[in-house]
Amino acid sequence: MNVIDHWIRNFPAPVQEAITTALETVSLTRIRRATRLLEGLDMELRGASINVEILSTYNVEPIVPVLSFALSCMPSRPELQLGPLDNIEAHIAQPAAALQGVPDVRVVLWRVEELLPEALFPFSHGFPEEMVARIEQATERVERVVSMHERHMHGVPLFLSTIALPPHFSNPLLAAQHSAGLCAAVGRINQKIFDVATDGGGVHVLDVARWAAVQGNSQSDATLDFLARQPFSAKGQIAFALFLARGLRPLFVARRKVLAIDLDETLWGGVVGEDGVENLKLGHDFPGNVHLRIQRELVELRSRGILLVLLSKNNEADARQAFDSLPDMLLKWDDFAVRKIDWNPKHENLRMAAAELGLGLDSFVFLDDSDYEREQVRQLIPQLVILNQSGDPLQMLRALWETDVFDALAVTAEDRQRPQNYAVRKARQFEGKQGDLGKFLNSLEIEATIEGIGDANLDRIVTMLGKTNQFNLTTQRHSRAQVQAMLERPGSIALALRLRDKFGDQGLVAALLAMPKEGATIVIDSFLVSCRALGRGVEDALWSAMLERAEQQKIKRVEALYVSTLRNGIVADLYDRLGLERVAHDALGTRYFLDPVALKPVPSWIVLHQYSHAK
Amino acid sequence: MQNNDSLLQLLVDFFDLCTDTRPEDIAQPAIAAWDSLASVQLVAELQSMYHVDFELEEIETLRSYEQIRNALSKKGVSLDKSPVA
Repeated sequence: MNVIDHWIRNFPAPVQEAITTALETVSLTRIRRATRLLEGLDMELRGASINVEILSTYNVEPIVPVLSFALSCMPSRPELQLGPLDNIEAHIAQPAAALQGVPDVRVVLWRVEELLPEALFPFSHGFPEEMVARIEQATERVERVVSMHERHMHGVPLFLSTIALPPHFSNPLLAAQHSAGLCAAVGRINQKIFDVATDGGGVHVLDVARWAAVQGNSQSDATLDFLARQPFSAKGQIAFALFLARGLRPLFVARRKVLAIDLDETLWGGVVGEDGVENLKLGHDFPGNVHLRIQRELVELRSRGILLVLLSKNNEADARQAFDSLPDMLLKWDDFAVRKIDWNPKHENLRMAAAELGLGLDSFVFLDDSDYEREQVRQLIPQLVILNQSGDPLQMLRALWETDVFDALAVTAEDRQRPQNYAVRKARQFEGKQGDLGKFLNSLEIEATIEGIGDANLDRIVTMLGKTNQFNLTTQRHSRAQVQAMLERPGSIALALRLRDKFGDQGLVAALLAMPKEGATIVIDSFLVSCRALGRGVEDALWSAMLERAEQQKIKRVEALYVSTLRNGIVADLYDRLGLERVAHDALGTRYFLDPVALKPVPSWIVLHQYSHAK
Repeated sequence: MQNNDSLLQLLVDFFDLCTDTRPEDIAQPAIAAWDSLASVQLVAELQSMYHVDFELEEIETLRSYEQIRNALSKKGVSLDKSPVA
């Protein structure tokens, strides 16, 4: 199985087959053939257009077709721009206006052979004193590239590759014996790269060093390197292209949010209902240590914000007893956002869990040792990702190690809070059932704060634009650079809403972007509410705040569009409910207007605060 | 086209040529797509598919079907079978 199988799941079968064959045969010819098929697909299947600029100290031009192939599989419609070979700073120093266009993402690929060639021949270059100085210069170069990028292309995500040890060099023993040797030099440069990424500002790391270590020397080709300064074998090109695509993919494709997990033979070895709690295998000896490691991985996933759902065909009392009495259990009963422990088919329980969480099943991933359960779920819920291909515990663990379905470039405070928020959400739902809705909403003590969109909250807004599927009127997936450009337009209105209630702080949960148009008109570009805040009148509060700003700006008319997707039926009638007039339905969607602008009250159960602008 | 000629098949596919292209018509000057970048990729592909390593001198000679066939034959590659998948 290829890690990208789930990327290409919506492509027609012949295209999937061509891609799979190309990867399995490691054939550049077949990669080309698959790329032609990919390029012939409908735009809707191909995904969003993305412009990737690559600056490199080595020659990536020959492998552009392979990179295009991998990025097309994401899926996306890639446009690759290459900067001049080994001339990174000169290119970055150009203002955005002088370039072919502002890319959606910039990638810098470098290696020690060009960045610090002296490190391969240290004794010819004043080892150790002079080498210390040269290593310092190389780390300063990393900082310089980042600061130049920030100056000229602020807001465009920058990916820096780490540098790998060269596949071939003499004296590997000596290279590791001194802090000014090759190994330490590579380590120091990479440490600087990790440091600048930690500082934030849209700098991310493509860890080529780790990739190269995993691949081994089969990824490189010294002949091609000397021939064309292109260092990769055919196998290396394909693996590198997929590695690059996987690195960029979180910018454009939302990660999965939920992992649904089986219990017996997965979280522990054995079947609790048959073997008894005392005979379950979980601990520090084989094979219990594999199940323990699986639990460690799941605890870590939950800590990163992935919701865990427990699905088990068992008596709940048996399962509960094992959770309470097994001394090495790492996962706790309440770590699961939803538990379905009964004898119902798992596909039914998955649907119920999705409904309870308010999430689509295309946010779900499934891990189960049973071939039968996996196959049934595969057939009945095709949008689900099945994580493992085998019920062997070690294979399940490997699946957790290797999967990219939870890939993210950062874990925000909001992500880390998510499992608790969903627990709270369930508590809210429970309270909601206790009385009438108005009384319930009043009891939540909801406070909303409206703030402008700016540097302080831009990352969260871009993440929301990229991930929100259900309450999203237009599903515009703007990049950071695009949102920044919108904010800079005079007359634009860009608002976010922060929510708090008696259960805790929910953070930023809603956003609205409106762009000016001639004739004292604004057009709603994006209007979205996070699924964790649905049903509380947040959209009414944000709409009300937007109308107030519009009136202050002497706006006479508001135009809006509802673009239907598979996921956003929940807002199909929103603009009707908000009192806009439906004017037309065309290829883009349903068009509305509000003329003149009339203020609307904020829902009575929400206390609204205003901040001027987030900086 | 000789269906059992794996090199011919590979070159036809690699350069996206007509399926009835004859071996003698496959030479760098006659194929517009066979530029320097394609040459690099062709070497990578041949090395991968036939599990061989070309020497730098040999690479200079890989400019036609005939020359590639000769270079592969010298390395003991049988071209009547499909390339190694």
